[in-house]
Amino acid sequence: MYMANGRVGVVDLDTLEISELELDEEWLLSGDAVSIAEKLLSDSGGDGFVLGSGILTASLVPAACAGFVLGSPQDRAKRIAPLLGHAGAEFKLSGFDFLVIKGRASEPGYLWARDGMIEFVRAPEAKGFDSWGRTDKIRDSQGDKRIQVLSVGRWGDAGFDSSQFVVDYWGGEDKSGLGSELGTRNLLAIAFRGMGEFEVSDPEGHLQACLRIQAKQMARMGRSFGIESYDAAFARGDFRQLVHRPIACFGCPFPCRSFLKIHEDPGVMEHSHKEPGYLHYDIPALQKALESGMSAREATEVLIKCARAGAEPVSVIAESMRSNGNASPSSIDRLLSSGRDVPKAGEDDLGGVFARSFGDGQSYMKCLGLGLCPRYWAKAGLDITAVSECAEPAIGVPLKR
Amino acid sequence: MKLNIEPLKCIGCGLCEMVCSLNRDSVLTPMTSSIILHIEDKSNYFGLVLKTKSEGLVLGRPEGTAPGQQASGASGPGAKPILLREPCDFCAGETKCAKICPTKCITVVD
Repeated sequence: MYMANGRVGVVDLDTLEISELELDEEWLLSGDAVSIAEKLLSDSGGDGFVLGSGILTASLVPAACAGFVLGSPQDRAKRIAPLLGHAGAEFKLSGFDFLVIKGRASEPGYLWARDGMIEFVRAPEAKGFDSWGRTDKIRDSQGDKRIQVLSVGRWGDAGFDSSQFVVDYWGGEDKSGLGSELGTRNLLAIAFRGMGEFEVSDPEGHLQACLRIQAKQMARMGRSFGIESYDAAFARGDFRQLVHRPIACFGCPFPCRSFLKIHEDPGVMEHSHKEPGYLHYDIPALQKALESGMSAREATEVLIKCARAGAEPVSVIAESMRSNGNASPSSIDRLLSSGRDVPKAGEDDLGGVFARSFGDGQSYMKCLGLGLCPRYWAKAGLDITAVSECAEPAIGVPLKR
Repeated sequence: MKLNIEPLKCIGCGLCEMVCSLNRDSVLTPMTSSIILHIEDKSNYFGLVLKTKSEGLVLGRPEGTAPGQQASGASGPGAKPILLREPCDFCAGETKCAKICPTKCITVVD
């Protein structure tokens, strides 16, 4: 089987029973991982959520970094968020194409998937940790800093609609309240790391096709300066003064991620401060923070606070504006410690969110279904014929249109 | 022939790791590559570690490129240690990591 594990992990948190399903190759090659995840969710009784990866995730196709999290529908609306950074690729390398999680654990813990195995690790002490503490704890306990961790904080634990899941330390993917899918199940985090490998039908053909498409796209787009290359609103002095370095998701040649240092000189390249700043790629949150009158430094402080609490920042900043008439790090602190949920961000506040990378939702789902970052491919121009030229030598058959 | 690393051009995409293993074993995995992406993501500290035949380990750290020590070449216990991997063979002259690196952080020098 090319570019896939052919396996689904199924975790029942009620009983802590972990089982596996085999996936039909033809189904996987359909290139529609979102539909497969919907079917798996429905087959599991609908009360659960699914982590998924696409047939091209972890391939050499530009920005083939995407996995996704699919939750049970809310008010008939599909709840799905991409899983980016190195998490999507690492999830697939852990030996599973999909992971179905249902039920509720009797005590707090995290799921640990690696090398084709999954276990539930009890960690009641980590219940009191924020999302950063949970990631640190898992990496320390398992002794590997490259473990990818999808975690929640106290807002996810409380099952708030305006919670978000955090990937490693950063937020930006989850605008659907999927953090509550973990928290309400006593699931503090899901961690994955793998020594997996994927066979490729024609390795040289795949490489050459990917080199051609990357060269074409880079010639057109030039060099990325991080998030400001995706939204010119961030090309402002106070933001640029704090920029350390842009960093890409797996396989992305034109990163949208800018790390801002607020606790040490951004020019410092040595490994010195342990928590010097924050990785910005949450375009709507950053827009909202800056529109509210905060400086780039204050906006960074606020996004750190929200990520640690597992709270979706657009919703939190909007609520601060509504209730206080302003937003600042201290007003956000008060809201985050209030112990009450806030209304979810409205559509008007979510410009720049991954789901709106394209004018249409269909292209967004197409990208997630294949394992491609929608933001990159909207910028580069989604050309399925060109993607298929890269995909066919990898998976051995043409992509289905 | 030699690979030159300019660490500050690295964007941490990891394509060099993947293409190295693809060349060596015809599979996509970061686990058998002669080049490793080292990331301390919380502090945005990242660079490359290359195993060479002539110089041993070369550490492409953000603060500069230097010969490396054994411990510095670790990519975590989840991975095969770089010192147990094959050194770079320049893909028989194809130097695929340099070709796929989107920022030309890795280049070939004679």
